Amino acid sequence: MKKNKGMIVLFLAPAVLFFLVIFVYPILRTALMTFFKIEGVTDAIGLWQFVGLENYIKLLNTSLFRTAMANLGKIWLMGGAIVLSLSLLFGVIITSGIRFKKFFRAVIYLPNIVSAVALATMWLQYVYNPQYGLFKTFFSAIGLDAIANIPWTDGDHKFMALLIAYCFGMVGYHMLIWTSGIERISPDYYEAAYIDGAHKIHQFRYITLPLLKGVFKTNVTMWSVSCVGFFVWSQLFSTVTAETSTITPMVYMYMQMFGAGNTMTERNAGLAAAIGVVLSICVVIVFTLSNVLLKDDDLEF
Amino acid sequence: MKKRIFSILLCATMIVSMLTACGGGGGNNESGKKLVYWSMWEATEPQGQAIAEAVEAYEKATGVEVDLQFKGRTGIREGLQPALDSNTVIDLFDEDIDRVNGAWGKYLMDLETLAKEADYEKTANAGLMAACREAGGGTLKSIPYQPNVFGFFYNVKLFEQAGIKEVPKTWDEFLTVCEKLKAAGITPMTMDDAYATCVIGYHLGRYVGEAGVTKIVKEGLWDDPAVLQMAKDIEELASKGYFSKNVGTNVWPNGQNVELAGGQVAMYLNGSWLPNEVKATAGPDFKWGCFAYPALNACETNIEGAKATGTEANNFGAQVYAINKDSKMAKEAFELIEYITKGEYDAKLAEMSIGIPADTTNTEWPELVSCAKPVIEGSTTRFTWAVGVESNADMTPVIKENFIKLMAGTLDAEGFVKAMQEASK
Repeated sequence: MKKNKGMIVLFLAPAVLFFLVIFVYPILRTALMTFFKIEGVTDAIGLWQFVGLENYIKLLNTSLFRTAMANLGKIWLMGGAIVLSLSLLFGVIITSGIRFKKFFRAVIYLPNIVSAVALATMWLQYVYNPQYGLFKTFFSAIGLDAIANIPWTDGDHKFMALLIAYCFGMVGYHMLIWTSGIERISPDYYEAAYIDGAHKIHQFRYITLPLLKGVFKTNVTMWSVSCVGFFVWSQLFSTVTAETSTITPMVYMYMQMFGAGNTMTERNAGLAAAIGVVLSICVVIVFTLSNVLLKDDDLEF
Repeated sequence: MKKRIFSILLCATMIVSMLTACGGGGGNNESGKKLVYWSMWEATEPQGQAIAEAVEAYEKATGVEVDLQFKGRTGIREGLQPALDSNTVIDLFDEDIDRVNGAWGKYLMDLETLAKEADYEKTANAGLMAACREAGGGTLKSIPYQPNVFGFFYNVKLFEQAGIKEVPKTWDEFLTVCEKLKAAGITPMTMDDAYATCVIGYHLGRYVGEAGVTKIVKEGLWDDPAVLQMAKDIEELASKGYFSKNVGTNVWPNGQNVELAGGQVAMYLNGSWLPNEVKATAGPDFKWGCFAYPALNACETNIEGAKATGTEANNFGAQVYAINKDSKMAKEAFELIEYITKGEYDAKLAEMSIGIPADTTNTEWPELVSCAKPVIEGSTTRFTWAVGVESNADMTPVIKENFIKLMAGTLDAEGFVKAMQEASK
């Protein structure tokens, strides 16, 4: 077939144009913004005030931002361990040939289709309520008063409360990714292993787990991306103004971009952009690390 | 060849249609008689409903078409400035007095002449007009409506039950009131996380004034004796059991909806929008009372320019209307402002939202908020939100968390001051 360069250009042009305008331009502009002090995010470039690396230095020196990063780190690590292991467990159970598979899968996935606002309200106003909450009544009823009396929503326990509520909502999503990976593994392997005398746990350890490396990588990346964007839950767990126990970098970014709470505070879209860049770098690092540490190209199945 | 021309034509049409689709949406003022109004309310809120009625009446009376768009709080907070920067036609918008004048000051039209021509101030609240001029840097750039005031709201029945005849004006009287309530088996007060900073702001503000509070939080002057005294006062309230035992765990609106409106607790520091917010849980028999944050005994302070305040200084404010300085329909926009903030529709807005009327000739306040009348009328000095305690965004979360612990009694006064000093290093 004769190549027609003009036609190629013509057909590619709209897509390339949109890619440049919608992806490349904002990325470049955001990166550029980090070197300026900018009051309003849409201020004309003429109003930007060059400050060099000051925004990054200021972030490093702000203890609240460090707290936010530490909170994010804890959510990523602790929440990741909880969510990925629980979802894997559920994924394995769901694909093990149990009855009512579709029903259980739907139930576990259900929190994902309920709005975060509704879920958070349920947790805060009902489950954690110290007077008549679910935890209070349930643990009192079974005699575990020590757990029943935990003040879940005070400053010392709010982070845990947030983490539990968030993980509850995320398990279903990651379970679906795991099940798709497990279902890809041919039943022949399990049959062969069964004939050789391997029981379920052995099958899981020596067949399922190694063959899920690639899916694990997907899960870690998806988890990291959703963690970095941690915003709504943090907002809902700290009414009107942020709190140290639940603040995340995205919340801090919002405060810098649009002002915090009801008082007019200083705004700096350049600083907010710097937070965006820092977070993107974090995701890239996690992604690169998981690519280096989890090589799955040695397996073919 | 034919095919080629055809495909080129198709591509061109696609690109053109894409570009036109992107470019549209902005200017819709070709007719010249369409007034665009971005509102901070939601269409379903009482305020939104009342405003929609006023706009409809205005359209009928004048023939001016109004494009009323309800954006909601976050919608306007995040979207207005980018829209104005990209030259979207917006003639009129509203938000809180300090946000409009502070964050969006450069987009505002000076309204002095329009106000004078309409003799607007004849029936406007003088204190609020002065507040608007102050916020606008000495000139009138916004028109207040939906006034509100922040004070202690209380359950009159519980006060009567405890034998309290008069509202407290000083701190000692306040402590007596708390003691009487406690003796009668009533929890004196509660607080929600959302408003915790207002308590510390008010208390510090009574000792050192708003300028002093702002200085403390911005410059980290937490070692000032007034801070420790404030913390000790709150510690005393906590240790004497004057706060509800849920004060450390309350997530808004548990304190106001369950504890206060449910009749478990007597007092709650909040804005005059409170009776409207909790009316469903409080029920029709709930009788509201209101008093200004009490005056405190004199206290030593080293802060330059610090000035103690009494019950005459309060956080009162309003939503305000502002007109885009580039608006071509400023006159019509001002007419609409008058429609909403004066006479019939101002009264209607107050009635539907159980709020305070802006028009001074609307002397009849909705019954549920009439208790706040003495407080607003006795206010001569204006505090901004939380008396400036939230003016350092990097400190607010730390202040909020530790102050809640102080109220809950899990942190003592010295511990609070230490936490603040460490966080502001």
